[in-house]
Amino acid sequence: MPDIPPDPAAHPCSDHGGEHPTVLDLPHVPLSLKQEWLERETRRHFLARGSKALAWAGLATILGRSAPHLLADVAALPDRRPQFAPKAKRAIYLFMAGAPSQFETWDYKPKLSGMFAQNLPESVRGGQVLTGMTASQSALPIAPSFFKFARRGQSDRWVSELFPWTGKVVDELCVIRSLYTEAINHEPAILSITTGNMFPGKPSLGSWLAYGLGAINEELPTFVVMTSKIPVKTNVQALSNRLWSSGFLSPEYSAVALRSGSEPVLYLRDPKGVGRDVRRAMIAGVNELNRQLFEHVGDPEINTRIAQYEMAFRMQTSVPELTDFSDEPASTWDLYGPRAREPGTYAYNCLMARRLAERGVRFTQIFLRTWDNHTNLPANIRTMCEDSDQPTYGLITDLKRRGMLEDTLVIWGGEFGRTVYSQGRLQPDNYGRDHHPRCFSMWMCGAGTRPGISYGETDDFSYNIVKDPVHVRDLHATILHQFGFDHKKLTFKFQGLDQRLTGVLPARVIREILT
Amino acid sequence: MRLACLLLLAGASPGWAEPATFADRVAPVLEHNCTKCHGATKQKAGLRLDSHAAVLAGSKDGEVVKPGDAMASELFRRITLPPADDDFMPSGDRPPLSPAEIAVLENWIAAGTPATDSFDAARLGPAVVAPPAAPDYRPRLAEATELARTLGVRLVPRSRVPTDGLVLRTASAPAACDDAVLAKLAPVAGLIVDAELARTRVTDKGLEAVGRWSNLAHLDLTRTAVTSDGVAQLASLGRLETLNLTGTRVDGRGLTLAGKLPALRRVWTFGGP
Repeated sequence: MPDIPPDPAAHPCSDHGGEHPTVLDLPHVPLSLKQEWLERETRRHFLARGSKALAWAGLATILGRSAPHLLADVAALPDRRPQFAPKAKRAIYLFMAGAPSQFETWDYKPKLSGMFAQNLPESVRGGQVLTGMTASQSALPIAPSFFKFARRGQSDRWVSELFPWTGKVVDELCVIRSLYTEAINHEPAILSITTGNMFPGKPSLGSWLAYGLGAINEELPTFVVMTSKIPVKTNVQALSNRLWSSGFLSPEYSAVALRSGSEPVLYLRDPKGVGRDVRRAMIAGVNELNRQLFEHVGDPEINTRIAQYEMAFRMQTSVPELTDFSDEPASTWDLYGPRAREPGTYAYNCLMARRLAERGVRFTQIFLRTWDNHTNLPANIRTMCEDSDQPTYGLITDLKRRGMLEDTLVIWGGEFGRTVYSQGRLQPDNYGRDHHPRCFSMWMCGAGTRPGISYGETDDFSYNIVKDPVHVRDLHATILHQFGFDHKKLTFKFQGLDQRLTGVLPARVIREILT
Repeated sequence: MRLACLLLLAGASPGWAEPATFADRVAPVLEHNCTKCHGATKQKAGLRLDSHAAVLAGSKDGEVVKPGDAMASELFRRITLPPADDDFMPSGDRPPLSPAEIAVLENWIAAGTPATDSFDAARLGPAVVAPPAAPDYRPRLAEATELARTLGVRLVPRSRVPTDGLVLRTASAPAACDDAVLAKLAPVAGLIVDAELARTRVTDKGLEAVGRWSNLAHLDLTRTAVTSDGVAQLASLGRLETLNLTGTRVDGRGLTLAGKLPALRRVWTFGGP
């Protein structure tokens, strides 16, 4: 390329009235390339700036506290309409991290009681590779459930004695006993069920819903996560915010994780000596600086930052009201149990989930995480159920009596199942169970799921599915369907693909469990 | 009662013949709903529906009508699927055909798809499809959005199906919604199918306006000051399906009144007197 002498008028470092140079100012750049840059600038950045400008208008209004819905107009820029009329407006996902055993909970296997300590038939196992935790065991002794089952409810279904409370609402539940996954270890399995993919970086279910539907209440986050105090101190499952991250979607669709202490969201209180007006002026100033930066570089992530400042400011008002339980009637505490008064317990979180749903939060996910009972299963699962059974019952009953079960989807379950054989020494009153991805049980209720039914069947050993298998993808497709979305059409372009929660493999809406 | 309304809506009366021809009844339905994509300018899937011969010629995948058998006809299947189905026609955001329009096509196919001979357009009665929840919102969405904005509430489409109606949202600022706001929504009232009024300042007086929202299917009055007198104002809501009175002072009299609503299937009164 011939050496072109620099043109002082077009020098990249020249001062264009305070503006930084752009590609258009650079020498040696072919005109065609400049043209292309100009077009891309127009199409991508202009759109982003347009929404930015609206967000700014929204903030200005919010600071005046006159019309908070203006921000909804910003949110409405992407198409926030469901594809068809939804049955569910919101969901509460009771996530039992660590994988509760199906044998003691929702997959009753009466024939096992006569097979105590017999070796698992090779024909059942079918050569399946076991985890490193039990692969070296000399025997795979069958461990029947230590807990008894009884028929409950009008639907006359078998309910474990671990669920004296949930058993009272069994007629509301749609139990699926034929879930399966490919993942045999916790992290990939939990990621699969929270994000649809066992590799990190994909948006979680709640983020997809926030992205697809937007907020009902702009004063609160669209997606909220709560972790629960652990009643058992062994086999504690690690949790991380990638389980509720927005992945490649804008960070504004990530969950806000409520803390369990006296301050559910940090730094919402104005510092001592700082009034709300000062805070207001400061946020306005910071956002103005961010706005100027955006005008310069056109990075849409700056909008996200501004949106987060706005949400934090709004939460200064909305969160104290949310967490003030003094308006709860006395019957609430009878219903959820006494522990509901203690912040951070599963019971407290269940009550909080109802309050969030009442106020329009789309998706609330409660994590309870000590179900990974490799050892001492009977004692540990008993403690887990004592901690969670009544609050779960309380939540369903409360939603139902308030008319909210009509359009609130409740989901209960873990990430995989557990083995029929004992991990470690099998005793009549003590045993453990290893991970088992081939089948596990969950239940759903409300929002157009069919109440009082059980779907799917496993063999006598709850080892293989014999009828109506439901992959995690099918579960996701079904949940999205209840929110008015065809899972194939709720997409986001990333890395050249129209990405979606259910990925590229086939997924099916389980219509048999829907009304 | 609902069936009778449907029949009136459909404008068809089974029981006597209603002579019609392809040109005067079928072609207008096709032109109104189909020929933008299946006509002279565009021929999606190789299909044209702008003449009798073209309809019978079918698409690149074969015939779309089977003379004498509507149920086995692809065209009929497509227009009677749930609107959310991938195969549903018309595609995109276009509204579904009305029951009366579907009935015309069904009767024409059932009669053997005559080209010029007349057929009985009322023989099978109106098609059994769910009536639209509300009128097409598209022409008035901007107006409704703007009106709601000025009132401090939101009106949002329930779905992308233009006849699914609008949801009245107040959760961001329930205190901003009172009786006066409801009265001012009158210009777009026919579009509202779901009114989320929980924890608002709405009283019995405001329900006078709500009582005229003729397409309302869901009404949530949780923790409002509404009483049985308010419920009395809802008597003409012929399509109301769910009524949430949780935490209100509605008593047995109000429940009796609610029980007379023809379409009501669920009512909740937890926390009442």
